[in-house]
This record gives sequence, structure tokens and C-alpha cells, in this order.
Amino acid sequence: MIPKKGMIKSTDAFERLVHWWLAITCIILILTGLGMMFHSFNFLGTPLGGLKNLKLVHNFTGLLFAPALFFAILIWWREAGVFKMPEDLEWIKVAGGYLWHVDDVPETGKYNPGQKAFFLAVAIFGILMVASGLIMWFPLSLPSGLVQWMYPLHALGMLVIFPFVLVHIYLGTIGVPGSARAIFTGYVTRSWAEKQCPGWLKEMEEEGRLEIYGEEKEEAAHG
Amino acid sequence: MAEKIKLYDTSKCTGCRACQLACKQWNALPAGQTYNAGTYQNPPDLQSNTWMLIRFQEMSNGNGDVKWLFRKDACMHCTDAACIKVCPSGALFRTKYGSVALDRDKCIGCKECISACPFDVPRYDPVTDKIAKCDLCFSRIDRGMEPACVKACPTGALSFGDKDEMIARAHARVKELGGDANVYGDQFVGGTHMLYVLTEKPDVYDELPERPRVPLTVIAWKDWFKPLTLLAAGGVLAGSFIHYLTHGPKDTSGDDQAGGEGGE
Repeated sequence: MIPKKGMIKSTDAFERLVHWWLAITCIILILTGLGMMFHSFNFLGTPLGGLKNLKLVHNFTGLLFAPALFFAILIWWREAGVFKMPEDLEWIKVAGGYLWHVDDVPETGKYNPGQKAFFLAVAIFGILMVASGLIMWFPLSLPSGLVQWMYPLHALGMLVIFPFVLVHIYLGTIGVPGSARAIFTGYVTRSWAEKQCPGWLKEMEEEGRLEIYGEEKEEAAHG
Repeated sequence: MAEKIKLYDTSKCTGCRACQLACKQWNALPAGQTYNAGTYQNPPDLQSNTWMLIRFQEMSNGNGDVKWLFRKDACMHCTDAACIKVCPSGALFRTKYGSVALDRDKCIGCKECISACPFDVPRYDPVTDKIAKCDLCFSRIDRGMEPACVKACPTGALSFGDKDEMIARAHARVKELGGDANVYGDQFVGGTHMLYVLTEKPDVYDELPERPRVPLTVIAWKDWFKPLTLLAAGGVLAGSFIHYLTHGPKDTSGDDQAGGEGGE
């Protein structure tokens, strides 16, 4: 996956680091969460030495997830947290061309409305997961009427985030070939960028901020 | 094996607390430091080492006289037990007698049963990091004995037997007592396996819910969101696979040099 000459830089190192920090903690949380959610998944605690340890891993991973989520929101809310009307609505109407054949899919910026929805779901429900999770960790120190609601809220967060993560993994790998390198090396092919983020590509080129692998950055900037 | 019920008749209870002591003895529960709260009720509430407690309540009858109400407070052993529903490890389980028992080894101390219980029964022990509650003397009833509290009761306020027989006995006793007397337990949470014959209406008793039920939060959590998660995750996995086969991956390759080798 070494970048080739002419490839376009789409993410910086900090973005990639935060992505994987968030992704790995999120996957650990989902797996350990499943271990406590379904008796049929209780066995996931066995390699950790029992369900009690699984609970500890879940809780402390949650503490690592929180700062990753904080940085993720800080980095991406501008590009992925705000819908741009009306073009985003037009894109949603045709489901971005992902579900049926569409001749002209409305152009998107760096992130399309589907990705924005994923970002918002993770951001909003992620915050709720951290808050409800902390209360569930120390339930006896708070009124039981409040604590009671944290459990269904935590389960609702799982209901939203887990399936969304699966869609994200599918579309980030085999669903849209060439995407994964954006989050491993940071460089994508020009044709990928033209199809996935045409608006962003144009903007970057116009402003001369596009970084191309194998070319001096200054060259583009001065050009 | 027939379901069993422990019947507690408040009209026959003298508040002697032989049951409370027998419970401590059989379950090897040490007494803790306590204090005088101005009542005979002692300790003041259920504890991780006090699984059952006689509540002492003074009730004025309106003529300046005070009547003493006793209530044996312990796990009600619900048929629709919210605690079993929420327990992540299967530590809380239903026995063949219909009672709710606890496998202490499996308990992970998550405390989820505490806020789920409509009767506020489970107690957390920070020393062992486990939950504790009455298990209807599973170790005794499984060997054909009656629970320790029933064995110790000198007045006949406590009895133990087959479910149908106990329910019939409770209703017969209520008929005999008349007035406000009522059977408490067979009409909610699927029927409890501890049944009360109350001499007063349920709302008269301290800490006794009038209409106990599995909390809505537990229903939303375990009956709605939990199966929906499985459905949604399974649907998305199947959907992605079908999408890949029918619609196919998005073509992100181009004819320019850098994108020439496009796919994965």
C-alpha cells in the first residue's frame, strides 16, 4: 500500500492516528459489550479470565474511547458534522447512487451525507455512551430513577453505532475499493478522489493546497 | 417439579424475628454494627448480610390508639423477574421451584439488578464485589426442606408449599379476615413466589409498591433494543453481502496514471 507518484493526500497523520485510536477502542467496546449483552456471547470473557475482567476491560476501554472521541469531533465536525443544503438533500434522494443506478450523483465535498450521518451518529451517541457508561459504572452514588434510564440509553447507542460501524467497514474496504488507503497511508488515487470527493478536490486545486505524492508542495502552492 | 410459594400472613405475625435470625444462621450471615433508629426495626434496612427483615411500622387507628404493623421484607421471587432479565452473566436464575436464586461465582458486581428490582431487594457487598439477596433457601428446598425462616416461625405466620395450594390458602385466609385484608403478590409481575396476606391495604405499608412491575426502562432495554440490535447488525451484514453481489463495489478506478491500479 505504498503511495505512488501522483496520488493525493487526503488525511494527515493525526487524523489517521485518531481514527484508529477511536476504531480500535470502539471495536473492543462493541465486542466486550456483546459479551455482557447476550448470554450466548458470555464466552468472550473466557480469554480474559472471566466476565468480571471483561467488564473491567470494557469500562477502562471506555475511558480511552472518550479522548479519541473528543479529538475526532474536534477534527471532523467541520467537514463531516454539517449538512450542506440543498446538494446534500439531492444526494440523499438518490442514496448517493449506492443502492440503484443513478446517472448524475450530486457532487459532494470531502464527506458525503452518508459519512456525515455516520460521523454525527458516532459523535452524538458516543457522548451519550460515555456519559451513561460512567453512571452505570457507579450506579449507587446516584438516584436510581436516573440510573435506570442509563441502561436503555446505552443499549440504544449500541443499536445505532454497531450496525453503522459494520456499514462503515464494508464501504471503507471492499464496498468502495481504494478507500482504505486514505486511512492507512493517507494518499488516495486521483480517480478515487474525483469520484468520492469531487467538490473537495476542486476546492483544494483552486486554492493550490493539494498535496501530491512525489511533488513538492510549494510547487503546487506557487503554481 | 411443582412451583413452590412461601406464604406470609401478617395477621399471625408477632414481630418476634425468629425468621430474621434463622435466615442469618442458615446463610451464615454475620451481624453488622447497627444503631438505634427509634424503632424495633433492626437493622434499619436490608443489607448485603441481611437478606430478610421484619419491618416495624406504627399506624394510628384514629382513636389515639397505635397499631403495630409487621412486614417481612425480602426477595419476592417474581415470575417476571426484572433482575434475571438484566443480569449479564446469568448469575441470577430461575429455579425449578419458581424462585429466583443467585450463583455467586457468576456474579460480576455490575449492580444492574439493583435499579431493575421493583421491590428494591438486591444489595451490593463492596467487600466481595457481589450482589446478595434471599434465594428462598435453595440449598434447603432442593433437599425437600422448608426455608429456614418458615422452619423457625413459631406462630404459623409463615408456611411453605405448592403454589396452587398456597394461593388458595391465602385467599381463604383473606376471606376469613374480611375488612381490608388482601392477598398481595399473585396479581403482578407474573405472580410472586412469596405471597402476603396483608391486614391493611398495600399502600398503608412502608416501602411496599402498590403496583410493582418490570420497569419500562428494563422493557425498552431488554425487549426492544437488545433484539433490534441483533436484527440490525444481522441485516446490515446480509445487506452488505447482497449489495456487493448485486449492485457491486463502486468503480473508483480511472484512466489516469496514478489511479491505474485502482481496486484492492
